Amino acid sequence: MTDLVTLTIDDRQVSVPKGTLVVDAAAKLGIEIPVFCSHPKLDPVACCRMCLVEISGPRGMMLQTACSVPVAQDMVVKTDTQQVKEVQEANLAFILLNHPLDCPICDKGGECPLQDQTMQFGPGLSQLVEPKRMKNKNYLISDTIVLDQERCVVCWRCIRYLEEWEDKPQLALFERGGKTIIDIQDGQPVDAKTSGNIIDMCPVGALTNRVARFSYRPWEIERTPSICTQCSMGCNLRMDTRTHKLRRVIGRENMDVNDQWICDKGRFANAWVNDEGRLTMPLVRKNGELTPAPWGEALALVAEKLQAIKQQHGADAIGGIGSAKLANESNYLLQRFMRQLIGTNNVDHRDGGDVAALPTGLPALADVMKPQYGPDPKHDVIMLVGIDPSEELPVLDLHLKRAVRRGKAKLVIVHPRQIELTRYDGPFLQANPGTETTLVNGLLRAVTDAKEETKSEAHKLTSGASDRQVDHLCGVKSAELRKAADVLAGAQNPLIIYGPMVARGQFGAALRQALTNMALYLGKPENLAYVGLEANSQGVRDMGVLPDRLPGQAALDDTMASELLGKLWSCSLPVHPGKSYKQMLDGAGDTVKALYVMGANPASERPAWADKLDKLDFLVVQELFLTETAAQADVVLPAVSWAEQDGTFTNLERRVQRAPKALGNPQSKAAPDWMILDHLASFFDAQWGHANAQAVTAEITKAAPNYAEMLWDALGDQGLQWSTVDNSYLLPEATYARAEQPDVPATEGSLALIGGTVLYDGGNLFALTTRMKDMSFGAMVHLNPADGETLGVDDGAEVTVRSDHGALKLAVKLDATVKPGAAWIPESLPGAPVGALLNGSAVTTVTIEK
Amino acid sequence: MALRDFLKGATEIGKAMGVTLKSLTEKPVTTEYPRDAVPLYPRFRGKHELRRYENGMERCIGCMLCEAACPTGAIYVEAEENDPLHPLSPGERHAKVYEVNLLRCIFCGDCEEACPTEAIVLGHDFAMANYNRRDFILTKQELLNPGEPNVVIRPE
Repeated sequence: MTDLVTLTIDDRQVSVPKGTLVVDAAAKLGIEIPVFCSHPKLDPVACCRMCLVEISGPRGMMLQTACSVPVAQDMVVKTDTQQVKEVQEANLAFILLNHPLDCPICDKGGECPLQDQTMQFGPGLSQLVEPKRMKNKNYLISDTIVLDQERCVVCWRCIRYLEEWEDKPQLALFERGGKTIIDIQDGQPVDAKTSGNIIDMCPVGALTNRVARFSYRPWEIERTPSICTQCSMGCNLRMDTRTHKLRRVIGRENMDVNDQWICDKGRFANAWVNDEGRLTMPLVRKNGELTPAPWGEALALVAEKLQAIKQQHGADAIGGIGSAKLANESNYLLQRFMRQLIGTNNVDHRDGGDVAALPTGLPALADVMKPQYGPDPKHDVIMLVGIDPSEELPVLDLHLKRAVRRGKAKLVIVHPRQIELTRYDGPFLQANPGTETTLVNGLLRAVTDAKEETKSEAHKLTSGASDRQVDHLCGVKSAELRKAADVLAGAQNPLIIYGPMVARGQFGAALRQALTNMALYLGKPENLAYVGLEANSQGVRDMGVLPDRLPGQAALDDTMASELLGKLWSCSLPVHPGKSYKQMLDGAGDTVKALYVMGANPASERPAWADKLDKLDFLVVQELFLTETAAQADVVLPAVSWAEQDGTFTNLERRVQRAPKALGNPQSKAAPDWMILDHLASFFDAQWGHANAQAVTAEITKAAPNYAEMLWDALGDQGLQWSTVDNSYLLPEATYARAEQPDVPATEGSLALIGGTVLYDGGNLFALTTRMKDMSFGAMVHLNPADGETLGVDDGAEVTVRSDHGALKLAVKLDATVKPGAAWIPESLPGAPVGALLNGSAVTTVTIEK
Repeated sequence: MALRDFLKGATEIGKAMGVTLKSLTEKPVTTEYPRDAVPLYPRFRGKHELRRYENGMERCIGCMLCEAACPTGAIYVEAEENDPLHPLSPGERHAKVYEVNLLRCIFCGDCEEACPTEAIVLGHDFAMANYNRRDFILTKQELLNPGEPNVVIRPE
């Protein structure tokens, strides 16, 4: 494919692609050239001089840096001559000159390239007799990263990472010569969302993890390759554990998902796994109090009550709520339990049946990635609708930045806030919340205007979305709309992503149709993707935790699927569609008498909908903590976290990945989610007989056709993506249809609510990582300064935000990135669950009262 | 013949009694343990102790090298960051937990060898019998406050 170049290294020949660096060519032969500044994911700088080797040139063999010289035909390289050895020793002696010998207290000790190379290539003796230079130690560059300037060897890796990947040059070198130090700029702490990656890259102990500080030693930890479950990216990571505690999380390479990067939430915000407040015993309500009870008693009670309610009120009076945070196995068994043993389709999760999703997720993450020395991303235009990767999917944000800066991709952003990615010179359409359908229609109209032959057809489809109407309704000027249309019209392989914020209710359904029209017109209907935000948003749909979908996302009236499942479960399946998440909560105490809630917390996430939980005859909650919902339950079943049980998760590009058990608390009686359900089934006289989670994974391969290959062993450490080609039945029927803009509620003086999530939300789990306390978003409502002036509120003013569903007391923050006429309150904020206001559609209007 | 034998025997008895008489006046070689202390060699390896600096700071920095060097896994250390205002040891790090399991320890002294600050030393206390298995685990408090500080400080 590419041109091969043959060269000789230490008298051995090797052929490598043109452009390869000598250091990488040598590695291919198994020859190690010591490096500090060189990194396979960063541009070379050749500043540490450790990799000097003899390379043939026009003036004979000369010392050159192997990390910056590309290979050439017939090049001769010598890495083991006397001269090379001398220069390596001299260099190491020089690097170590001012490096403190505090290895015993350094967290890098034991996995430190400087230690290793000193042993392998160093002189063994120091000639320094003077005292070493003193610089800052224990110097915070952010709440989570500690810098030790004495240990720094000035390799530039952290500086280059922040420049080349994050595009946030927040670290720099100051002073000169031996006094050179790394420091933050103007006293501003490093706030890049993936800043923790510089810890992994640092070749010495200059940058260390403040959250995990001094809690581990590399030679004592057990390492478990796993994945992150804080968002739907499914970044690969490694969990380091010791004495039944999670000690540290670091990134793990997967070139199809996260390259090698993980975000700071995945790296640092894991204290909840080790938290003392975790549930360790089943709790049963006796005389109004939740009291610890043995498993047998708790499960027998659940079975007895559910059977009694089924007898009295029918199967449809019982509902099951699953969770997109939990593994495929747990969710699969929950819907099997509801469908087989209860006999109802009342099974859903938050952002499930109420959201206008698409079944297939992103085509492939690798198509938006631009790895170092890799090809350009396949998508040349990426349109983001109502999704903010910087806050919601930080590693996708990293890929997109890179794709724009190095891969020549263009972004088109539709969002009611001026999100971080708008800093790149792409069209940004700041539509009023709820008017996205008109905007996309207008955009399609503008795109089609370029082509005479399709113009009239498209104009019929998009009537009511002329430039003037778009300007009037969405607040987007014609010039910006036309600019975006030009970008889209010129796209070879566009990708359109929309998120849950704009996908709810009838607004979501209309927008999905508008986007389908757009994707169809651009010739790539398969490149339209709905992206859920939770770890298993894709998998929970694939498992059929939806009121109208079976495992494999088969429709309820799909006779082949229901026959297959009927045979597998030896039962006949319920045929009527069940109730959605909102309907189950709304019907609590009325049409719904009992709920089985697994890993969800509606009382905190959607308090306005979940205000009738106390009217239920019976509420079972399966949880890690005694959450707001669990506190109201009749029976609480203690579950273990993703780190303590085997499970598979499906990420936003349909990649099924393993998350093996990494640790377990021997004193806790809490059990894996799948095991609880498996045991509960035996109280219904059903013997499911799953010996372990892998047995459930194997059953899924039989139940869901798109998971046919996804056996535990086959998944390996890098996971497998289920194919949309082999499972084309799951591709949506993409046809042109009119996308009708639903009426946007507008009352005088009201603002449209913008939801969405932020990374450091300060929610129940996040708050347990105390080091990150000050980084959390805070209970605030963000308003445009113009609206602040109209309302007469200043920064920090206490206001009441009221919708027809509820009210919240919040502090005001004036924020110019928010569209005038909108109020931004992210989800999961501590003490102020925005769910109290949401009405279930994509648009909620609120009023602000002083 | 008989007389000669008799005289020879009497001489031998006299010689033997001489040894006895001589020993009667000598000090006994045994030690009246536990009434009297047993003399020990300076490098005798007994019960572990954690030492302090003269200013009262703990020498141990919680580096866990002793734990790594221990051939029987008898040592368990949990490190922690020093409170900058009230540091327990010089530098940024100290041991939050330091435990020695005396049932596992073979008194090889590798922990002493590994220690970069000469914090852990094997002292001269060898009376370690106990009634309870749990009491064989020395905690950091016990290690820092040995009954009789009796440590030979090696020359630096």
